[in-house]
Amino acid sequence: MRLRHSLFTRRQFLDGLLGGWLGGLACLLLYPILRFIFPPEREPEQVLLPLVDYASLDEGEVKNFAWGSKPGLLKKTSAGEFIAFVGVCTHLDCNVAYLPDQKKFYCACHKGWYDENGINISGPPPKPLRRLAVTTEGETLIIKPEGAA
Amino acid sequence: MNITGAARAAWAWLDDRLGVHTVMDFLKHKPIPQNRQTPWMYTGSLILMFFGIQVLTGIMLAFYYRPTLEEANKSVGEIMTKVPLGWVIRSVHSWSATFMIAVVFIHLLSVWVLKSYRKPREITWMSGVLLLIFTLAFGFTGYLLPWDALSLAATKVGTDIPRSIPLIGAWGTKFLRGGEDITGDTLSRFFSFHVSVLPLCLLAALALHVYLIQKLGMSLPVGADEEVEARRVIPFWPNFVYREGIVWLVFVGLLITVAVCLPPTLGKAADLMAPAPEGIKPEWYFLFLFQTLKLFPAKILFATGDTVAVLLIVLGVGLFFFLPLIDNRPEGRKGKIITGLAFLFIVYAVVMSVWSLQTPSQPEPDKIVAGPQNIKESTGVWVFLAGIWLSIAVLIYLLRLKIKETDRLFNIGYFSSDKR
Repeated sequence: MRLRHSLFTRRQFLDGLLGGWLGGLACLLLYPILRFIFPPEREPEQVLLPLVDYASLDEGEVKNFAWGSKPGLLKKTSAGEFIAFVGVCTHLDCNVAYLPDQKKFYCACHKGWYDENGINISGPPPKPLRRLAVTTEGETLIIKPEGAA
Repeated sequence: MNITGAARAAWAWLDDRLGVHTVMDFLKHKPIPQNRQTPWMYTGSLILMFFGIQVLTGIMLAFYYRPTLEEANKSVGEIMTKVPLGWVIRSVHSWSATFMIAVVFIHLLSVWVLKSYRKPREITWMSGVLLLIFTLAFGFTGYLLPWDALSLAATKVGTDIPRSIPLIGAWGTKFLRGGEDITGDTLSRFFSFHVSVLPLCLLAALALHVYLIQKLGMSLPVGADEEVEARRVIPFWPNFVYREGIVWLVFVGLLITVAVCLPPTLGKAADLMAPAPEGIKPEWYFLFLFQTLKLFPAKILFATGDTVAVLLIVLGVGLFFFLPLIDNRPEGRKGKIITGLAFLFIVYAVVMSVWSLQTPSQPEPDKIVAGPQNIKESTGVWVFLAGIWLSIAVLIYLLRLKIKETDRLFNIGYFSSDKR
């Protein structure tokens, strides 16, 4: 089909092109600004802990360590193995506490409960506590995100 | 109702309440004279653009900057090395300050030489002098914030200068430093001045300045024939705005290019007990005052040399502020002496600055030199620069087409309300 008239005028075309291009330039300039404002997450690739500090833990006992800027919780299971969690409630990011007498993790913000394996059992938490992988190499405990090689 | 119709209705609803069309009508009828002094009119809006960039990048830097003795230098170092593209943002802030002050001087000298400050624009000039003072104060307070040896020495000298003013001087120094000496309190105070006191002062003066420009309209050259000039005007919106757009784009491009190529460095943290480094210098816009102070002997008659120098500078600023009241001749007079003084000032400032630069400054050890962190970032930065300039080139082409179009429409009377 051949149109007898253009659907829009030269003026509209020029305005659209100018506005669009200005918008494009604005987006281009916005990119470094957003990069600056949102720095990349700096989760540690791994955390090394001296085994001597944690070897004396009783079974079922929990000790804190720093997982980047979050609290990490290292626990010795009844089988004598080490397991580790990120000690942050999966509900709204509060730090959790371990209550040894009840063998539960507890978040005071909204009364969230996790069992001794970090599984959410009551209250608002939607997910279990995040597990971290623990390996022992000589006299060092190596803690990595789960799934990392 | 389709989308265009809905958008139009929403706009009408807003316009009904905000009165945007009143403002637009005013801008459509604001005449911009076209004559030999028109090019200087771009400097005002250019300053505004650089100020906007300063506000934006300043807010961003304040996200990561920590104004304490222990952390100030460290946090600037982190901005330059750890925060993504932090070195570019700091460089843009630093260079935009330089560009802004340079254009402020050009703006001021143009108004001075063209005598645009004459009746009825005396208060526009005075508010402009206030804006100049606030702008220089921004530069002075901002210079301390990175807290390296150079900035400490410059601030020590700068805040000691008021002391030479009789009676109120010692109080002034104390006010600036937050005590007898420069301490962490000075840093907090300068940060507070830089990010809250001065912006408020500057915005207030700016509001008065811009209001008066709208109220009084653009000035005409001395002795111009008003009727001839009235036939040559173009409207501010849209004809002049498209022209300003070109100037803005070129300077945005220049600013980003210079900022990427020549990022400022950072010396190691200032030591309050260390001797002043060799060959200290203030920022380039204070060099001529710095050199002036060096010239005065220790004692002149009954006063110290400093007192005389500082009183002369204060007198100079005072005369400058009241220039429209001093040169209150009829509008037709050219005012050759005043023009001569302007050129004398330029020559004086340039000679003094160049002289001051003759003293070599010792390169500082342990500098953090800013730059791309890795090959990916450096490639990205150059691609980004190329993209910016390509966009700017296309936009300038489009803007020139729009200028031709709107000028033609204006000339055939399309914009005048009685013919629509």
